[in-house]
Amino acid sequence: MGSRQITEKSLSMLRSLPRISLGNIRNNPKSKQSSKRGRGQHGGDKHGAGNKGSGQRQNYMRLGYETGNNPFYLRVPQEHYYRGHHLRREYPPLSLHQLQTIIDTDRLDITKPIDIASIIKSGLYKFFPDQKQFGVQLTDEGADFFAAKINIEVQWASEQVIAAIEKNGGVITTAYYDPHSLMLLKNPKKFFESGQAIPRRMIPPPDAIEYYTSAETRGYLADPEEISKERLKLAQKYGYSLPNIENEPNYNMLNERKDPRQIFYGLEPGWVINLKEKCILKPKDQELLQFYST
Amino acid sequence: MSLCLRSKYLRPNLISSLFRYSTSVEAVEQNDQVLVEDEDAMAREAEIERKRNVSRLSEAHWNLVNGRRPYVEPKNWSHLTVKYNRKMYGKYGSASGVNPSLCFPSQKEIQEKMEYEAVAYPFTIKQMMETAAKNRKEQQEKILQRDSDIAAKYAKLDQWKKELLDKIAKKTAEANAAKEKKERLVEEVRRHFGFKLDPRDERFQEMLAKREKEQKKLEKQARKEAKEKVMLAKLQQKNVEISDTKNK
Repeated sequence: MGSRQITEKSLSMLRSLPRISLGNIRNNPKSKQSSKRGRGQHGGDKHGAGNKGSGQRQNYMRLGYETGNNPFYLRVPQEHYYRGHHLRREYPPLSLHQLQTIIDTDRLDITKPIDIASIIKSGLYKFFPDQKQFGVQLTDEGADFFAAKINIEVQWASEQVIAAIEKNGGVITTAYYDPHSLMLLKNPKKFFESGQAIPRRMIPPPDAIEYYTSAETRGYLADPEEISKERLKLAQKYGYSLPNIENEPNYNMLNERKDPRQIFYGLEPGWVINLKEKCILKPKDQELLQFYST
Repeated sequence: MSLCLRSKYLRPNLISSLFRYSTSVEAVEQNDQVLVEDEDAMAREAEIERKRNVSRLSEAHWNLVNGRRPYVEPKNWSHLTVKYNRKMYGKYGSASGVNPSLCFPSQKEIQEKMEYEAVAYPFTIKQMMETAAKNRKEQQEKILQRDSDIAAKYAKLDQWKKELLDKIAKKTAEANAAKEKKERLVEEVRRHFGFKLDPRDERFQEMLAKREKEQKKLEKQARKEAKEKVMLAKLQQKNVEISDTKNK
């Protein structure tokens, strides 16, 4: 290789290199000097702690302290009956009067068992399970003129309400639903369209177990024999003769109850409901069957 | 120059806006010949349907409006999820092309659910009932205990009241006696001097001290005598007893 070739090559290399321009030259060293000399590690700056106040001094005040003011959390008087309100269950009320109205205006079918789903479907009961609401509380307003013979399942009922319903030859059960089940009961269509299998209903929490297992409150986990005894007792206490429901023509309807794991009447946990094709898919896998039966 | 350019670009826009469905129209025109050749009734029907579709909706929206699943092919990662496919089956049935077995929870899902339930619901209904009954009983016992305590204290209340009142009465009586005694002494001292003397006076104080001393002496003697009397009585009794035993 001759020296000329080398020169040519190096020249071509040089040509391909970027040119010096204003964009790629740096200042002469020490050409930019500040007139002040900052003290300390970072030239006298604030070390990233900001300017003025608690931030700069890094004396963060305790939560709720208002620099000498009467703090808000002490300014308001304490109301102890609200203690634990964020954990408590709420049962929005529905009076017997309202229930009678719903029945009279034909928005509830009393030839079938009534549960929270049918009450919500009537459109006269506002219910938000995501706001710690756990179902219907039937109140005794209008108990004197309540006259429907129904098989109703509510989540909370007083003694007077139970008496008012049983006096008319009806049947009442108090049943617990976990929030997820209540979501399904509030809008079954939405759930069925999600293409999931119906889950199981969960068991009540420890602080509600007494209510839902006692026959006096007609709990859904109570012994049926105990319940029939309590029915008689209540009739004697309130002074009415208990109608014999065994001789009723709609005895089967009045005797219908949900399984403690069941959410919808007539539908078992584990089933997939398809509304488009109007069909029910039932699981056959042993493991699934076992899971849904426990 | 820029104006000129714009006008150049504007023209095709204008044309296309005049023929609003230009793209679809062109496609139809191309297919027309094919149709004529094939004479397929089904294809023709489809063509007519396509011509009728003047909605300018996207295919997905058109499908939605006509009750079909919007996408057959996944357009997003979320369209590959089990949840989405279940939803498609739930909404559009078997026409969605989703295998319905997907709707049931998988083995892993069941395992996770059971694990969750084991933590969220650690007690069975029976266990909870037992603990509730136990708590109820304990509360009842506590109340009964308290009631019985109060009843026992209430039974003693009258006695305690009497004792307290007696104590107060005794205290006041003692205080009154002491006061009277003092007054009497002062009176005596006054009488001794025969005229009204300031009790803070030195002579008065001296006299008072003397009187008190005398009084104390008297009291002491009285006590001594009483004691002696008692002793004598005791001795006499003892003597009598001894003589009795001797006689016997």
